Amino acid sequence: MREEILRVFSFYFFLGKKSGRARTFFLLSSAAVLMAIIIRTYRLAGYWTEDGQVIFQNFLMVFFLQFLIVLLGLFYGSSLVGEELDNRTLPYLTSRPVRRAAIILGKYLAYLSLTTIMLVFAVILSYLVLNLDPEFRPGDLLTVLRYSAILWLGLAAYLAFFSFLGTWLKKPMLVGLAFGFGWESVIQYFPGTTQKLSVAHYLKSLLPQYASSSGKLGFLFIRLEPTRPVLAVIILAGIILVFLALACLIFSYREYLFED
Amino acid sequence: MAEVREKGYHHWEGQLQEKGLVFWPITRTGIRLAFQRKRFKFLFALSFIPAISFAVGIYISERLEDFKFMAQGAERTLQVNPGFFKTYLSMDFIFFMILLLMALGGAGLIADDFRHKAIQLYFARPLSRLDYLLGKAGVVVFFVGLLTLVPALVLLLLKLLFSGSFRFFLDYPWLLLSIIFYSAFLMVFFTCYVLLASSVSKNRNYVIALIFAVYYLSEIARGIFYVIFRSPYSTLLSIPGNLRQVASAFFQVKPAQDVPWYLSFLVLSVFCLLSVLFLNRKLRGVEVIR
Amino acid sequence: MTAVIEARNLSRWYGNVLGISEITLDIEPGITALLGPNGAGKSTFMKIITGQLKANIGQVRIFGQPVWNNRHIFRRLGFCPESDAFYEELNGLEFLTGLLSLYGYDRKECLIRAGRALELVELQDVSHRPIRSYSRGMRQRIKIAQTVAHDPEVLILDEPLSGLDPLGKRRIIRLIKEFRDAGKTVVVSSHVLPEVEALTSEIILIHNGKILARGDIHFIRELLDSHPHMIRIRSPQYRELARLLAAENYVLNISFEPEASAVVFETHHRDRFFNRLNELVLDPGLDLEEITSPDDNLQAVFDYLVER
Repeated sequence: MREEILRVFSFYFFLGKKSGRARTFFLLSSAAVLMAIIIRTYRLAGYWTEDGQVIFQNFLMVFFLQFLIVLLGLFYGSSLVGEELDNRTLPYLTSRPVRRAAIILGKYLAYLSLTTIMLVFAVILSYLVLNLDPEFRPGDLLTVLRYSAILWLGLAAYLAFFSFLGTWLKKPMLVGLAFGFGWESVIQYFPGTTQKLSVAHYLKSLLPQYASSSGKLGFLFIRLEPTRPVLAVIILAGIILVFLALACLIFSYREYLFED
Repeated sequence: MAEVREKGYHHWEGQLQEKGLVFWPITRTGIRLAFQRKRFKFLFALSFIPAISFAVGIYISERLEDFKFMAQGAERTLQVNPGFFKTYLSMDFIFFMILLLMALGGAGLIADDFRHKAIQLYFARPLSRLDYLLGKAGVVVFFVGLLTLVPALVLLLLKLLFSGSFRFFLDYPWLLLSIIFYSAFLMVFFTCYVLLASSVSKNRNYVIALIFAVYYLSEIARGIFYVIFRSPYSTLLSIPGNLRQVASAFFQVKPAQDVPWYLSFLVLSVFCLLSVLFLNRKLRGVEVIR
Repeated sequence: MTAVIEARNLSRWYGNVLGISEITLDIEPGITALLGPNGAGKSTFMKIITGQLKANIGQVRIFGQPVWNNRHIFRRLGFCPESDAFYEELNGLEFLTGLLSLYGYDRKECLIRAGRALELVELQDVSHRPIRSYSRGMRQRIKIAQTVAHDPEVLILDEPLSGLDPLGKRRIIRLIKEFRDAGKTVVVSSHVLPEVEALTSEIILIHNGKILARGDIHFIRELLDSHPHMIRIRSPQYRELARLLAAENYVLNISFEPEASAVVFETHHRDRFFNRLNELVLDPGLDLEEITSPDDNLQAVFDYLVER
């Protein structure tokens, strides 16, 4: 099985790299770097005194956490089966000597790797743009790695969930949009256990909380009743495993018909 | 002389005669296809919820005495004035529903034609590029109009009917024109926005992602820059922000941000203009076999 | 000879629509053609025997093993789908090596096999061009290349000749015959009788999801020859044309369409009819505007066969 997954992975990683949409999403991810450059320039001009870490967490993390990883997960996850149906290329895959579950896992890993490159590039570069100065310590690199790891975990969870939606529903995009930008945004501000019904809640629970000098920041933590970090990681890992298993199960037993 | 004619494709070479609305069949088909999509009718019905609530609001505002027990302290919100109409026409839910309906029924308008290589079939008929674009634009205009212009006019009519006099109309004689022109502005903007997105890719899902991504990215960028720069001009980055600024000017209401409305109008107009240029360029590249 | 493909009571519905019904047959090595009009059930049958679809009733076995989700069978099977679909971002070589890598071959082996397949379909010169720039014929050939690149024992080709020009058709027909000569089992579908005739004499007639007939092509030819052909001619002198042809004994029936200035002939002998028509056009100089055959398609032939 491992070898079959690797075969599918290498084919789709190569295919994904060549596609035009990879370039578009790479550019979209780079919007964070552009924002970081503008903010840094403003800071250098002396108009802004807030610490680089605080700026990164309170502004750029909003972009990464509530927009980019949801969008990447939604688009690539729902494409897992959807693009093969839309382009009618599914028979090329399902008539090869690889298990159907391996197709899902191989494609998932290929798209996770591609989107990870986009994400980590934008996270590290925008972090460095905001924080690199003579006082920058090597230990700060650990902070950016921590941010990257949290976002990567979120990306993997969204990708797994939307992959499941893609194997289950014929048109997963709208349901995905409603979930990603509707449910995930709204439910976080509900009190009690309701906010724990979102992926974003566990990601926020893992973020370090910095005190802001102005006291007006911390948008990500409004109404957050955090879950313990260890538990949050376990739950996120559980989300990835459960939805991937469901996606594999559905794809293995379901037959897919082209629209006409 | 005997002649065996080939049966099949011929480019139309006749004299082009304007005969009614040549783009109408494209619009009609687009609207019909949108309604045939799964879940479209449900979402379409859902998008009228605000209109119904506003209609109830107008009714209550005319019967405040009867509803005193319910509407305590709500007199200000239930004041029917130009701001009431501005709120309806620039509320987030309406914009969201327009995006959602257009993601379902509008994303494929041009993308599907490119995907199925059907563009040539349009231009093999007596249709110009403008007719094609007008036909496609008609679909977006139809739905945006149904969600904005029509309910707003109905609300205005209800206000006149419930109040039993033309007083409201005489107080704000320009309101009718404001509703018409602002709705038209929304129609033009969303038409350009949706058609531009639809022409960027052959993949409908990609177009849907783009429609939502650009809209929300603009709003996120506004939020980030606003907190950092504390400048109301960051509104110029946001699509809904600009639409609301323009709405304030049309309805003579104090804008949410202290930015001249014409700057927002300019930003959106330039966007529309660039979209039209892009669309024209994209369609000019279509090879028509003669 | 032992059957390579065994189908037993295969039935498949799409909601209320019948795809195929109660199909039982054995397919042996060599070329077998599935012949039937559009919507007859050919593609459904092919999708079931290649594991793309599941049968609602019945079972299919290849080399004695069930097909659905059976990766061991897929190693011995090559499927050329009907749809003109590709990973358009790739060039021909990348398309083939990418799909070959799914068999577990290493990079070198993939390149060797892809090169061989490209040579077979005569596309080695354009192998570095993106597939989206290929002509219809090239696309059809690269699709066949991916079917044979891993050297399968069974080839399932769904409408491999559709949309090709005569030269392209001849090339692919030659290729399919080479596979047969190499001892492979080839199943080809088509709705055009002359194409099938050029490929094989072993045919299966399929119509409305059922097997109508199976056997030698000559048997089908005989059936066809007894089928009266309709020929509609539009001409300003259509009455004169009818008068001149009425005397011929192979003209069975004549009807007029005055509003279209057309006449419809029914004949058993198309060749003799057209020879005479040529003479009439050249000699008295009749002016013909259009010649069509309202029933010159497989559907009409099948309807005729079913009614018999």
